[in-house]
Amino acid sequence: MTVDILFQAFALVFRWDVILIILASGLFGMFVGAMPGLTATMATALLIPVTFFMDPVPALGAIVTATAMAIFAGDIPAAMLRMPGTPASAAYTDESYLMGRKGQLDLNLGTNLVTSVLGGLIGVAILVLAAPALAEFALAFSSFEYFWLAALGLTCAVFLATNDPLKGFASLFIGLGLGTIGIDPAAGFPRFTFGSVELMQGISFIPAMIGMFAISELLRGVTSMGAASEAALQQVGNVFKGVGGVLRQYWVNFLRGSGIGVVIGALPGAGADIAAWISYAVSKRFSKEPEKFGTGHVEGIVDAGAANNSALAAAWIPALVFGIPGDSITAIVIGVLYMKGMNPGPTVFLQNPQLIYAVFMIFVLANLLMLPLGWAIIKSAKQVLRVPKNILLPMILIFCVVGSYAMTNSVYGIIIMLVLGIFAFMLEENGFPIAPIILGLVLGEMFEQNFITSMIKSDGSFLAFFARPIAGMLGVATIAIWLIMLWRMGPWAKPKPAAA
Amino acid sequence: MRFNDLVSGAILIAAALLVIILTLRFPEFPGQNYGPAVFPRLLAVLLILCGVMMMIRGYAAWRAGEPLADVPSWARDPANVISALLVLGASLAYILVLDAVGFVPLTIVVLLVLFLWFRVRVPVAVVTALVAAFGVNWFFASLMRVPLPRGLMDWIL
Repeated sequence: MTVDILFQAFALVFRWDVILIILASGLFGMFVGAMPGLTATMATALLIPVTFFMDPVPALGAIVTATAMAIFAGDIPAAMLRMPGTPASAAYTDESYLMGRKGQLDLNLGTNLVTSVLGGLIGVAILVLAAPALAEFALAFSSFEYFWLAALGLTCAVFLATNDPLKGFASLFIGLGLGTIGIDPAAGFPRFTFGSVELMQGISFIPAMIGMFAISELLRGVTSMGAASEAALQQVGNVFKGVGGVLRQYWVNFLRGSGIGVVIGALPGAGADIAAWISYAVSKRFSKEPEKFGTGHVEGIVDAGAANNSALAAAWIPALVFGIPGDSITAIVIGVLYMKGMNPGPTVFLQNPQLIYAVFMIFVLANLLMLPLGWAIIKSAKQVLRVPKNILLPMILIFCVVGSYAMTNSVYGIIIMLVLGIFAFMLEENGFPIAPIILGLVLGEMFEQNFITSMIKSDGSFLAFFARPIAGMLGVATIAIWLIMLWRMGPWAKPKPAAA
Repeated sequence: MRFNDLVSGAILIAAALLVIILTLRFPEFPGQNYGPAVFPRLLAVLLILCGVMMMIRGYAAWRAGEPLADVPSWARDPANVISALLVLGASLAYILVLDAVGFVPLTIVVLLVLFLWFRVRVPVAVVTALVAAFGVNWFFASLMRVPLPRGLMDWIL
């Protein structure tokens, strides 16, 4: 890396229009994250149609900033209303709420904010250090390595993200199947298009995202509108008081939480919400006073608050280096990278290093910006949480429709949005997870192409898939996870409760 | 609707069989052993495996007294069902008449219907619908240059 590239990146980021876009998307992310029921993924899906018309750096900057803010802002309604703003806060919602009931709302929100900022910065630091090194390493990868990487990522998505692996795998195969619609990558034959010219380019990705994440969430929102309770909101005082003491006491927890977040985030297929669950569980397991967990104790919040934000940045490592998404947000990001002509993969670090470093800079900037913006949103939380759902939800529908239309410049986008929205809603009602479908849809073409290329190269011999050392290692790891999952799914396993 | 895994599994298997039947019509390319049909067929086989395992599990649950299909609690309140249908109907309206009616008039109507159904006060509903329709149109059509259909707007404005 030369200083020259850093200067180029600096010039790309520090322009008044880019800074303004980052600020605006930061506020947008804070708002969406703080509204219970609206997730960080939904924020991203709604942002894409707007960023579609921007240059790559402001477009990616908007996504980075909005998601980082949304993951933090999800902690606010968790503490005040016992409703997580995003799934990433669900792991410690009860703990936060009980702290608030004990009169420690200020300390809770302050700890959440500061650990989010610092955890996010650790995640970015690892991203900056690891991604270019991994990219250099990945230059030597062939279709066999990419096949196994994609297989491992898709497997992890099922393994970590669901408590019902059978339905997780079914979702994944459905997603991969949806990805086969359109011109096939090996022979150029149009598959499952039923004569439609528009289907030949495949399922248009962003309208599909909007449908599966936004429309299905919207349907859940309007069908539970009556259930929303009017809780009394407490007044917030000085949120930073006492946070220093908490950090001094629990700095090991903070480092451990950030570390777990980075590892889970960097694993393809698992993101911030799983990082929060696991780090919270680890915190309780190794705590000197585990009996205090679940009574409004700050310790687990330090772990999990840091973990979900560090996971967010680390999820970009596999996305940028291999083009394999770390979570459902980076799955959307990969779609955006392709649209901007920055095909993710190791070569992007050679061809467009200034863009990559610009993204890194925005990550740092977004995490620093979280401190003042987060403080402001905590102070105005009482007003934000009062925004009436009956006005907000119809407005979101309009944005979904316009966003889908804008992606194809025709009603075709809205059709995809509606069909996949209903489909995703029905699947979730029946306990099928949605994230594996998205990953399957995003990775489908790359996965198939590497599979077919490998099969043609090896002339149908599966042994060749293990012949190269790294491919062999990845292959053995993937198959080991499959075997663990098969063991767990067998009739000797305890029947599992239905997915929440 | 919430289905027993016996039903969900059967639906998966049926869909997978349909995929296999469709792939039978895919062309074979001489000299290329791995053509366009390989991957979809592989997925279909895996889906059938999932479906069979789900049916076994669902059969046990059914024997244990779980109904084959169940109405989730939200759907027992007709108001919730109408809310969901209104959201879907609004999207369908965009698909069917957006090009003819135009974005601004259709959005005003859709927002008004939804607002009033969700019991937003009438003056608030009217003002918000108007501001939102023109605002979104200005942002996307003028600023972002998305060709949102003008429809009836052409002879009104």
